[in-house]
Amino acid sequence: MSLLKRDPQAPPAWRGDLPVSSRYTFGLAGERFFRALKDEGVIYGSHCPRCEVTYVPARIFCERCMAELDDWRDVGTRGEVHTFTLLFADLNGGLMDEPELVAFVRIEDGGLVHRLGEVDPEEVYIGMPVEAVLKPKEEREGSITDLAYFKPI
Amino acid sequence: MTEKITQFPGTPLREADFEGGKILFRHDRMKAEYAWDTGIAIGRYLAALKEGYLLGGYCATCRKTVIPPRTVCEWCFRPMEAFVPLEDTGTVNTYSLCYVTWDVKRIKEPEIPAVIEIDGASPLHGILHKLGEVEQEAVHVGMRVQAVWKPAEEREGAITDILYFKPIEGGAK
Repeated sequence: MSLLKRDPQAPPAWRGDLPVSSRYTFGLAGERFFRALKDEGVIYGSHCPRCEVTYVPARIFCERCMAELDDWRDVGTRGEVHTFTLLFADLNGGLMDEPELVAFVRIEDGGLVHRLGEVDPEEVYIGMPVEAVLKPKEEREGSITDLAYFKPI
Repeated sequence: MTEKITQFPGTPLREADFEGGKILFRHDRMKAEYAWDTGIAIGRYLAALKEGYLLGGYCATCRKTVIPPRTVCEWCFRPMEAFVPLEDTGTVNTYSLCYVTWDVKRIKEPEIPAVIEIDGASPLHGILHKLGEVEQEAVHVGMRVQAVWKPAEEREGAITDILYFKPIEGGAK
């Protein structure tokens, strides 16, 4: 066998898997926000009286004037579609059987990126009023997926 | 900590805080698979390990035998002359007593990684592997060792087809 030929019996590639895992904590504001979502089923925003802005999700500092925000408000579960997209690819780039609707739902001066449900993709439009559908309390675990999806009102 | 700074700002967290549900968190595992092309020389080397022998490469110009084999000599940059089977015995060139695992967990019984000059390869040419069946106090530079192989049916063409090197009697060949 030539020195420049591969041995067909030889393993062509060495395969492996890098065990990379992470644990993310949500921070002071995130902890309170998700705790409230889990336990009370409410979406919190925080209001800056000086800038007259209500941030959603709630945060502890106003990013405009840097003031500490202590006026946390239940902003309800309703918002409107600010922009949306129809997703055909899953996390690995594969084709999904059922495309998924993902939208940025505007709530007060902020909003959440989430799925849309109970709606035909053809009928979605920018400005469409939507409402959050929460998972039953016993299934909620303090994550953004405690909101199942947003549905049209 | 210094004299002035006795406490860092922030919220210290303990493992119990996560386990006890005191804090919300998200655990994620990245999908980080890879496939590394073994190439001609290392491909042969791994195939030879599966067969149960060590393979080196011989450069006729430099009269050097290296292990693992390459296709090109790294001293004269000419193509290697041949792949040559080597002995599975050798001499400890250097070693370490390692009290941590690869992911930095403490262990009581140390692993003993060592560079072993393989018999048949040029002086100072060898591979990194582990030593076994040996008291840690008995390990020394210059110790004669031999590979302990996995049973043939369990070998898969990997450096771990050699379980470890164990001490033997006798001088270098």
